[in-house]
Amino acid sequence: MLVIKDLHVSVVGKEILKGLNLTILAGEVHAIMGPNGAGKSTLANVIAGRGGYEITSGSVTYKNKDLLAMLPEERAWAGVFLAFQYPVEIPGVNNTYLLKAGVNAKRKQQDLDALDAIDFMKIVKEKAKLVELDPSFLSRSVNEGFSGGEKKRNEIFQMAVLEPSLALLDETDSGLDIDALRVVAKGVNKLRGEDRAIMMVTHYQRLLDYIEPDFVHVLANGKILKTGDKSLALELEERGYDWVKAEALGSEKSV
Amino acid sequence: MSVAAIRRRAFDLFKETGLPSTRHEDWKYTDISRIQHVLSIDSSSTAPIDNHASIINSTAIADLDAYKAVLVDGVFDDAHSNLPEDVTVLSLAAFLNDMGGQAPDDIQRLFEVRGDEPLFNGLLALNSAKASDGVLLCVANNTVLEKPLYIQHISTQTNFIRHAILMGKQAEAEVIEHYVGVSEEKALSSLSSNVILKQGARLQHIRIQQESNQQTHIARVEVKQLQDSSYTLHAVELGCALSRVDVVVALAEQGATCALNGLFVLGGRQHVDHHTRIDHIAPHCTSRENYRTVLDGRSRAVFNGKVVVHKGAVKTDSAQSNGNLLLSKHAEIDTKPELEIYNDDVKCAHGATVGQLDEQQLFYLRSRGISAVAAQELLTFAFADEVLTSMSNQQVRAYIEGIAFAKLPHGAELDGLLG
Ligand SMILES: Nc1ncnc2c1ncn2[C@@H]1O[C@H](COP(=O)(O)OP(=O)(O)OP(=O)(O)O)[C@@H](O)[C@H]1O
Ligand SMILES: [Mg+2]
Repeated sequence: MLVIKDLHVSVVGKEILKGLNLTILAGEVHAIMGPNGAGKSTLANVIAGRGGYEITSGSVTYKNKDLLAMLPEERAWAGVFLAFQYPVEIPGVNNTYLLKAGVNAKRKQQDLDALDAIDFMKIVKEKAKLVELDPSFLSRSVNEGFSGGEKKRNEIFQMAVLEPSLALLDETDSGLDIDALRVVAKGVNKLRGEDRAIMMVTHYQRLLDYIEPDFVHVLANGKILKTGDKSLALELEERGYDWVKAEALGSEKSV
Repeated sequence: MSVAAIRRRAFDLFKETGLPSTRHEDWKYTDISRIQHVLSIDSSSTAPIDNHASIINSTAIADLDAYKAVLVDGVFDDAHSNLPEDVTVLSLAAFLNDMGGQAPDDIQRLFEVRGDEPLFNGLLALNSAKASDGVLLCVANNTVLEKPLYIQHISTQTNFIRHAILMGKQAEAEVIEHYVGVSEEKALSSLSSNVILKQGARLQHIRIQQESNQQTHIARVEVKQLQDSSYTLHAVELGCALSRVDVVVALAEQGATCALNGLFVLGGRQHVDHHTRIDHIAPHCTSRENYRTVLDGRSRAVFNGKVVVHKGAVKTDSAQSNGNLLLSKHAEIDTKPELEIYNDDVKCAHGATVGQLDEQQLFYLRSRGISAVAAQELLTFAFADEVLTSMSNQQVRAYIEGIAFAKLPHGAELDGLLG
């Protein structure tokens, strides 16, 4: 589904990703962990097509297409979705209209007829129920005046409506209370499937109790330094990241 | 003194003063030399009446449930008007005619122009001298005008109009002034509206300037508010090559509230200048200002918001905000708040922003599958529409949205997107 090879990315002249490799197959769930400022959001943003990053070398292939050559909206149409670490407020733009426009733009690309208002509202209501989003949020401006947790829940709601094939969740669990975490996990697990993949950035092992990952990666020093299974997250929780860096340094030296 | 004498004096004042020039501080950014032709207007000419039934129909806000007054080139068109029976709405010219020039003091005062009043300029004197007609709306005490009064102005040539709105105690009304021009010449529409709100009166006032792109629109709205009265203005600027509007509000008695809202959506070489002045004279009055501009092409906007808090006006609550969106690097905005405060016990806030669209918002929308162009339009529209959220008349709001929408560079992209 997603193949990243030797990816180098700089932000305002500073290299953040320094030769990152990552392959995510359809049906898999990957967790990305790593210290603050390591470049986890950078990675998710680059995949989704956010501007302001300089990609100096490497490739990102999605469903055998060169993702880096595509516009952000083309990536969305192709099934890429980013749940933002910090969802932005957009006063005056209605939450539901935005989704309707997004869904129908995608359908247009697939040569499908636009959903009419009734069919669309049916989907929206069903998904809102799934993530236990109060219907009053549907008619509000995108994220405007939402609490931190409500914004995150709204991201998962949007994901549920747009049904992406590749979902990138950037710290969706941060700032959520226990109940919200459970609900968000329910939304994500519902999306899991043979032909979908999920990459989730998190700082907390706890999320992985709810959404079981196939792989856990440590992103540090601009690369995936270590990959393991769920138990790696437990180990990180106990020991922090320094030992991973030291281990990586050791193996580099021994080469 | 007769009305005619007052107007002759006004004409003398105009002859003395002439047109404002850019050397004049209040006119520094706005050059009106394009309307030099008005200098050669003599004191006796009147605008010829020309009736354009089809233009009246095609330019009106469709299906508006309202009373209607139509003015064509500054002359009341009775045949196309539909006025209420129980509330006084008259053609000013007809009224003066009936009175044989000896109008009551209230009406005489409407024509008085003094060289030392706030934002005075020669055109104001010329308007007093030349105004051929206008609407005189008098809502009696404790009376509610059941439907909005829709005043449709059609201009094909230079015209001068003077409106008067007199709201009695606890009276309520909504007035929509709609200016449509069909002239390809550099015609001037000169307007002056005098509004008086007595105790507890409430007026919703909407001005939609949508004249043709060769025309010039110069207007003054003067409002005097008595105790606990409430005045809300939405001034929408869409048309004309050049438009200048001065809004002068006097909060003369306790508890009066005014809200001035402005929206300019401009492109090409359009130039729009609004100067507002709010005088907080009495204590416990509230004023709000919210002006937004969307500027494309080589358009230019000027916003000058002056608030004067007089000595006795304690507990004044005043806030002003001005947001400007520049869609083109050739567009220009000059914005200036001016606060003059002569007592300590006041709350005054103001803020102006000038900017482009927010990159984070744009990316957010695109990441949800909205094309770049549509995302830009959507954000631009949302920015502009914020000013209209305080408009209670949803029909008029939808009309303005439709016109403003079509003016955006890629408005069509958004069709249906807003549902
Ligand atoms: N626009 C920018 N300008 C300057 N520096 C930036 C910019 N964007 C990112 N960076 C820097 O790039 C580095 C990586 O940032 P990124 O947000 O990807 O980290 P992260 O791994 O997601 O961290 P966290 O766990 O705190 O969310 C940081 O040092 C950050 O300061
Ligand atoms: Mg991050």
